[in-house]
Amino acid sequence: MDPHSSGTDQIDTLLWIGFVVAAIVIVAVNAGLIYALRRFRAERGAEPRQVTGGRRIQLRVGGALGVFAAAVLVLSLVYTEKAREAPASGPSGLQAAGSEPLKILATGQQWIWRYDYPNEAFSYYKLVVPVDTAVELDLVSTDVVHTWDVPELAGKRDAVPGKTNHVVFNADGEGTYAGQSATLSGQAYAAMRTEVEVVSPEEYETFVEQRKSDIEAAQDRVVGLIESGETP
Amino acid sequence: MSAPTKRPELVVDGFPPRRPRWAATATSADHKDVGRALIIASLGFLFVALVELLLMRLQLAIPENTFLDPVTFNRMLSLYGATAIFLFAIPLALGFFYYVAPLQIGARRTALPRLGQIGLWLYVAGATVLYAGLLFTPSEAGVNPLAPLSGLAFLPDNGVDAWAAATGLATLGFVLLAIDLVTTLRRRRAPGMAWRRMPVFSWAAAISSWLLLVIGPVMLAAIAMLLIDRNFEGIFFAGGAGGAPLLWQHLSWIFHTGAYMLVLIFALATIAEIVAALSRKPLFNRGATIGSLVAIAVIGTLAWMQNMLTAPIGIGWMYFAMVMSLALIVPFGLVLFNLIATLVGGTLRMRAPLLFAAGAIAMISIGLAAEISHSMVAVAWRLQHTVDSTAATHFVLVGGAVFGGFAALHWWFPKMTGRTMGESLARISFWTMALGTLLAFVPLLLAGGLEGQPVDAFEFFGSTGVDAYNLAASIGAFVLAAGIVLTVVNAILSREGGVPAGHDPWGGDSLEWFALSPPNRHNFDVLPDVRSARPLRDIRVAIGHRTGRATTPARESQPVA
Repeated sequence: MDPHSSGTDQIDTLLWIGFVVAAIVIVAVNAGLIYALRRFRAERGAEPRQVTGGRRIQLRVGGALGVFAAAVLVLSLVYTEKAREAPASGPSGLQAAGSEPLKILATGQQWIWRYDYPNEAFSYYKLVVPVDTAVELDLVSTDVVHTWDVPELAGKRDAVPGKTNHVVFNADGEGTYAGQSATLSGQAYAAMRTEVEVVSPEEYETFVEQRKSDIEAAQDRVVGLIESGETP
Repeated sequence: MSAPTKRPELVVDGFPPRRPRWAATATSADHKDVGRALIIASLGFLFVALVELLLMRLQLAIPENTFLDPVTFNRMLSLYGATAIFLFAIPLALGFFYYVAPLQIGARRTALPRLGQIGLWLYVAGATVLYAGLLFTPSEAGVNPLAPLSGLAFLPDNGVDAWAAATGLATLGFVLLAIDLVTTLRRRRAPGMAWRRMPVFSWAAAISSWLLLVIGPVMLAAIAMLLIDRNFEGIFFAGGAGGAPLLWQHLSWIFHTGAYMLVLIFALATIAEIVAALSRKPLFNRGATIGSLVAIAVIGTLAWMQNMLTAPIGIGWMYFAMVMSLALIVPFGLVLFNLIATLVGGTLRMRAPLLFAAGAIAMISIGLAAEISHSMVAVAWRLQHTVDSTAATHFVLVGGAVFGGFAALHWWFPKMTGRTMGESLARISFWTMALGTLLAFVPLLLAGGLEGQPVDAFEFFGSTGVDAYNLAASIGAFVLAAGIVLTVVNAILSREGGVPAGHDPWGGDSLEWFALSPPNRHNFDVLPDVRSARPLRDIRVAIGHRTGRATTPARESQPVA
């Protein structure tokens, strides 16, 4: 998968650093193990050396491991802080966004995601956001713990009942990005997917306005049907 | 090996038994009977867990499979998690600790034997309650039943209650066993068996028991809260109603992270015993190794929030978890270095226990390496809740509890039964298991790491590009299971038909090899004065000098106290 936001760029870089670190550890341990197991068989006829250890070698190895751990820690801190930086909206982004990110409420519920836009329009399953615009999702849950995960746009976060979690991203290209929930939430968990459609700011404005008037029309029609006595 | 099976000085057995053997074993509070029962029962539950794992892997062999429906899958998942952790990994480690540690310190019995016996039976009661859930509706809440999914509103059947009662009973049993072990290791050491001379495995027993005394009550508290929430209208874990779902996550992850460290401490200490004896060398840097095991228990448990890096907690907590997790590189690295350094310059006998010990190191190294990247906060936002984390956990726990547990089984089987396990079947089993583990979990590392396949889902979709990974993982799980079954068969066959072992088949240095195989009821007729960390080697050297046939070369240094 390719990163499509500044935050996921950093996550991707750190991920590959993580793979390299893991590879170093695996190779170092197993190379030492296999060398020792092959080299020091009883068949070679030598007597076992009764060395019990030494303070100096232990301090050296401990120190080297400490430096290694510290290096991993520093790299992680640097890239995590970069990934956390609130992205600014770019020149081709939504004009109204300015310095404030576009705030959208994302509600996890068994087993679908609901998105509430600033103009009171809402959508299920599919989130539509403008390109090159800082978007802040406020993640909440109405029932159990859900994890919002669209890996190409942002790191994953849990929606926990009674708490608000935040995801901030700035999509760098138009397109459709798939995501899925990632915490067991009951029977239909595997089918609880989502989709983010990144469009131009104009298309976004049209979409939310159209959605708002559609919802209002539907509301008026329901009220009309009830008042006219056609529906109890 | 032509060692005498009876020593003449004092004979107390040979009286006709008062009760039938099964009744005597079931009511025995002897640490050997209790430890052996724990080991046998946990190996039985390893088999049960394997069946559940294979059913889930069958479902996940092909995309959008309909072999299991989601409800059945979630039940299998919940049973599998509880079985693998509470009924297999922890009791297996405790069983070996409880059997071996009193022998290693030269105790004739444990300090509080009835407590250990109650511990065993609470564990058996827990297992019974968990599987009694099959009669109605097992839990569907997953390996760690997160609130609020585990609440009454979402799972109104009694499955979660059965899960909570079962794990609670087992955990209480573990705590009681730990109390007996802590007391025994403190009060019942043989003359001269100072802490600094105690074998690494007994140290691990002490460290693990203290760890259980800390994390066990935390889990018991969480389970009590869950039961109150579900049955007595409590609100401990109710979101936004005066409770907090995250509280369950904190409490349960403290326990699970501590238990994970316990399994690793058990495995590393077992490997330490094996590599030292089979290379005929003392453990390299004994003191630093033991200190590192203590550090793993403390720092490792403090890293519990490493499991919660996507939860709504402050970035400061996340960095705390990362610092603790990455700090573990030092003690884990030191222990692994010292284990391998012990082999260097030795005269290795590549017997089955050493093979399994080496396999355990290899698998644990892969799992811990993957865990390092999971501890890097930004990477955790990508990798956690994917099958990558499932695979990393399985590399560590299969490496620790299965490979490490089987190393312990092959190592102490002669002591428990008087017979050695078949060597060729052990080798076939080992290579099958090694191949199976790599084939089962490397593809999952990739499916999660590269494609982000979500964890715990009952199906996956063909469009996500993880078909081949999952098929390979399912085949690997079957290969792994075949290897495990071979070792269990080997153990059953060797109990009666194995090569007679004598009291010290491996040339060990610690006191359990001074007792008969199997040890008599009071463990030791006489005890040697312990004057170093290698009392049995001291005896061999002394006999060599007395008979004029030095069994150790002159240029060897004297053992260091």
